[in-house]
Amino acid sequence: MLAEIGSILTGLALAVALYAAGAAFWSIHRSDSRWAQSARNGVYAATGLLGVAFLLLLAAFLNDQFQIKYVAEHSSRALPLYLKASAVWAGQEGSLLLWSFLQALFTALVVRSSGGGSPLKGDAARRPYWATVFLSLITAFFTGVTLFLSNPFAQMATVPADGQGMNPLLRHPGMIFHPPAMYLGYVGLAVPFAFALAALVTRQVDDWPTVTRRWTLAAWLFLGIGLLLGMRWSYDVLGWGGYWGWDPVENAGLMPWLTATALLHATVMQEQRGGFRWWNLLLVVLSFELVMFGTFTTRSGMIQSVHAFARSDLGLYFLAAIIVTLVGSVALIVKRRSLLADPRPPAEILSRDGMFLLTLILFLTITGSVFIGSVLPTLTNVISDQSFEAGTEWFDRVTGPQFGLLLLLMGVCPLLGQAAAALKRLRARGWPALIGALLVPGAAALSGLTQPISLVAFALVGLAGATTLAEYIRDTAARSRSRKENPLLSLWQLFGRNRRKYGGYLVHTGIILMGLGIIGTRMYSFDTLATLSPGESVDVKGYTLTYEDFAQESVADHMNTTASLSVSRNGKYLTTLQPSIDQYPAFVDQTASIPALRARLREDLYIILAGWDQNGTVVTFKVFINSLASFLWVGGLIFLVGGAVALWPATQGARLPVPEARRRTIRTTVGVAVGSLVLLAAVMAMWGTGTGGRAGEQGGAEAAGRPRVGQAAPDFTLDLLDGSTLSLADLDGKVTVINFWATWCAPCEDELPDFQAVWNEYQEQNVGFIGIAIQEAAEQAEVEEMVSRIGITYPIGMDSDEAIFPTYGVTGVPETFVVDAEGNVAYTHVGPASADELRAELDSLFE
Amino acid sequence: MAGKTKFIFAGLLIVAAVAYLIISNTGSTAHYFLTVEELQAQGDRVAGRNVTVSGAVLGDTIVYDPSVPRVTFTVVEVPGDPEEVEQAGGLAKVLHDAVNDATAPRLEVVYEDVKPDLLQDEAQAIMRGQLGADGHFHADEVLLKCPTRYEEDVPEQVEES
Repeated sequence: MLAEIGSILTGLALAVALYAAGAAFWSIHRSDSRWAQSARNGVYAATGLLGVAFLLLLAAFLNDQFQIKYVAEHSSRALPLYLKASAVWAGQEGSLLLWSFLQALFTALVVRSSGGGSPLKGDAARRPYWATVFLSLITAFFTGVTLFLSNPFAQMATVPADGQGMNPLLRHPGMIFHPPAMYLGYVGLAVPFAFALAALVTRQVDDWPTVTRRWTLAAWLFLGIGLLLGMRWSYDVLGWGGYWGWDPVENAGLMPWLTATALLHATVMQEQRGGFRWWNLLLVVLSFELVMFGTFTTRSGMIQSVHAFARSDLGLYFLAAIIVTLVGSVALIVKRRSLLADPRPPAEILSRDGMFLLTLILFLTITGSVFIGSVLPTLTNVISDQSFEAGTEWFDRVTGPQFGLLLLLMGVCPLLGQAAAALKRLRARGWPALIGALLVPGAAALSGLTQPISLVAFALVGLAGATTLAEYIRDTAARSRSRKENPLLSLWQLFGRNRRKYGGYLVHTGIILMGLGIIGTRMYSFDTLATLSPGESVDVKGYTLTYEDFAQESVADHMNTTASLSVSRNGKYLTTLQPSIDQYPAFVDQTASIPALRARLREDLYIILAGWDQNGTVVTFKVFINSLASFLWVGGLIFLVGGAVALWPATQGARLPVPEARRRTIRTTVGVAVGSLVLLAAVMAMWGTGTGGRAGEQGGAEAAGRPRVGQAAPDFTLDLLDGSTLSLADLDGKVTVINFWATWCAPCEDELPDFQAVWNEYQEQNVGFIGIAIQEAAEQAEVEEMVSRIGITYPIGMDSDEAIFPTYGVTGVPETFVVDAEGNVAYTHVGPASADELRAELDSLFE
Repeated sequence: MAGKTKFIFAGLLIVAAVAYLIISNTGSTAHYFLTVEELQAQGDRVAGRNVTVSGAVLGDTIVYDPSVPRVTFTVVEVPGDPEEVEQAGGLAKVLHDAVNDATAPRLEVVYEDVKPDLLQDEAQAIMRGQLGADGHFHADEVLLKCPTRYEEDVPEQVEES
C-alpha cells in the first residue's frame, strides 16, 4: 500500500513538474501573470509531492517494510533507528529520490525568493520565469529517472523475513551526512546554471552571477562539507591510512567543486568590473555538466577499471541529458556572443585582474587534469589501443605543481591593485609574504621535514598564509586607528561589514592549513608492519609500542577483535591504542578494520590490527605515521566557518518597514539556526564519536588483569621476612622495582644477583626495591636461605595468602614491574630482566 | 591588443606545461591496463613493468599469513572492455561465471600486505604490480569491488602500499 502510494506520488510529481515548466513558459509567451502564478503553484506542489514520497520511503525504512526491494536491500530489523533513517540514501534509488526532492525544493526556494513580480513587463522580469522553466525541467528529469529507471518503491514478489542490512563500512557518522551534503551541492549548482541560461535567453547577462551568488556559494559550501566528510570517513573507516585516493568517484565530486570555486572568483570580477562574462558562463555550464558527468561515469560503467557502481541504463540517459544541455548552452552562448564582450579586458598580468584570470585558467587546467586522469584508460585505449591507468602518483605529480602555482597566486593576488600601481604595492606590502615564505619551511625543516620539493611547497604555503594574515592585521589596524576602537572589536566589525571579503580570506586560511596537511601526509607519510607477542615492543619513529592485550567479543551481528598497545615515547607513557576488526559473517565474511588513532599537531599515530593467530599469541599491526594530518581537519573546519561567514546574510537596509524587518529577522534566525545545525552536524561527524577506537582508560576496570604501562600500580601491604610490613604507598615518590619470584624458579635465581647489583648502585638515589616471593608460608626457611646465599639486602616478603600477585595479573615467575615516582607502571617484564635493562629503565625515569 | 596577446601567451604556457606534465607522467607513472589473458600473452615483455590487471577472485584460494603479512589468491580472467561485460549480462554475472569456469585463464597473486577488507569470493580485484619471473603476479596495491551487494556506496577499498 505504502509502496503504491509512493510510486503514485512520484508519478504525480513528474507530471506537475512538467506542467510547471510548461506553465512558466506559457506565462512568458502570453505575458500572463495568471499562468505565472499557476507555474509557481506547480513548483510548490511538485516539492510537496516529492517531500511526501520521501517521507513515505523513510517510514518504510523505519517500519521494516521489506516487501519493498530497496528497503530489504539496505536495511534490517537489527539496525539502530538512526541508521535505518540514513539507509534511505544508502543506495542509488533512494539517493535519486532525495536528489529529485532537493531539486524541487531548491526550485521552490528560487521561485519564492524571486517574488511575485509580473512577467508582463520586460526581459528583466521574465528572467526568473525562464529559470523556473529550466529548473522544473531538471526536476522532471530526475523525477522521471527515479520513477522509470530506479524506483525505490519497487516491490518484491515474496517478502523476506529480514532485510540484508547496511554495509558495515557505511555505519559511520561521516557517511550519514556525506551523501545529503553532496546532493545539496549538486542540486544547488543547477540554480546558477538555470539563471545563466535564462539570462542568455532574455539578454539580461549583466548581473546573473550576482543574483545567484548565494546559491553558488551555498552549493559550493555543501560540496566542500561533503568532500571533507568523505575524506574523514575514508580515514576513519577504510583503514588504509589515507583520506584521498584519487578514485573516480572522489574525482567526480571534486571536479564540480573546483569549477564552482572558479565560478565564485569569476563572479567577483563580473560584479566589480562587468568583465569575465564568458568565463562565468563557461564555468557555470561546466559545473553543471560535471555534476551530470560524475553521475554518468559512476553509473555507466564507463570507468570500469576502478568502479563498482552497478552498470545500468541510467548512464545513457544522463549522457543524453549532458549532450542536450551542453549543445543547448553552447548554442545559446554563441548566439548571444555580442552581449558578452568584456568592456575593460585586463591589460597587465601583474594586476589583480590579471591574477584572477590566471587563477581561473589554473582551476580549469586542474579540473582538466583530473578529468583526463579519470578517463585515462578509455582515452588511451581509443588513441593507442593500449590502456593506461592513472594511479595516485600520476594525479599527485600532475596536479601538485598546479596547486602550488595556485597557492602562489593566492599569496600574491591580495598584494596587487590596479595594474599601474601593482609593482609599487607589491614592494610596499610584499615583506610579510617573504617572511612567511621563509618561516614556514624553516619551521618544517627544524621539525625534521626536509625534502627539497616539500620545502618549496611549504614556502608557498607560508607566503600565502602570511599575506592573508597581513591583510587581516592591516585592515584591523587601519580601522582601529581611524575609529579609535579596540583592535578585537575592529576585527569583529570587519567581519560584520564585509563578510564576503573576510569570509573569503578565512576560506583561504583554511585552504592554506589544509595545504600544510596535504604536503605533510603526501610527502612524509610512513608505514610499517610489526608482528608482536604479548609484552613484546617495537620502536617506530620514536614511539615504543608494546602489545599488551587481546580480546574477542561477539557483538550483535559481528565479532569484534581488539588488540591493545601501550604507546610510550622516551620511556614516558602516552596512551593506550586499541585497533580492532569487526567481522560480519552475514556479509560474506566482510571485515571492517577500525584503526586506532593518536592525533597530534605534528603527526598522527595510526594503527591497524592486521591479523592474529587463534589466541592472540602473535599479532600483526600496521603502523602509519601521518605527518601534519591534523592540519587537514583543522583547516577544513576553518574553511567551513569561512564559507559560512561569507554566506551569512548581510545586515543591510536599516529602513525597512516594520513587518518586512520582522520577517527578515525571523528568516535570518531560521537560516542561522539551520546553518549552525548543519555545521555542527558536520563537525560532530568529523570529530565526534567516530570509530577512532581510541582508549586510555586507567586502572579500575582492568584491575583483574596485569596493570598496563601507564596505569596505576595496585597498592599492597607485604609481610617482610623480618616480621615488619611494607606498603607500596610507603614508597610513594620513589621509583620502585617490584619483582615476583620463587625459590624453585631457576630463571629467578639467575636474575636475583642482577637485581642486587642494581640495588647496590642505585640505593642512594630515590629508588625502592621490593622482592615478593610467591610461596607457601611453610617455605619461609627456603626463601630466607636463598636471600642470604645471594646476599639480597633490599626488602623481601612473601605473598603466602595470594593477596598481591593476582592484582598484578602475575601468571608465572619471574615477573617484574617498574613503577615511576607517580605510582604508575612504567615498564613490565614477563620473564627475567637483566641488570642492563633495569639500569636503562631506571635512568630513563630519573631524567 | 598587447594585453590580450600577453594573456593568450600566459594561458598557452600554462596549458602547455600541464600537457607536458600529463604526457610525461602517463609515460612514467601510469600503468598498462591488461586482463589476465593479455598479461599472460605478453609474458616476458611486461615482466618487471608496472601493470594493472583485473580479475575475479576465487574465494577458496585466499590464504592469509598475518605474521608476514602476506595474502595469496587466484584471480580468473574477466573481460576488460565494458561493452563486453555489458553484453555478457553485467559485471556481477561476468564475475560469477568466471569463477565457475574451469577453463578460463587464471593468475596467482601475491600481495605482501594486510588482507583487504573486501577480498572475498567473486569480488573484482584490480591489482597494480609486476609479473614476476615465477609467473605469479606481485601486487603493490589491490583495489577491490564487490558487485553482488551494496555496490552503490562502497565502490572499493584502497590499500595503499
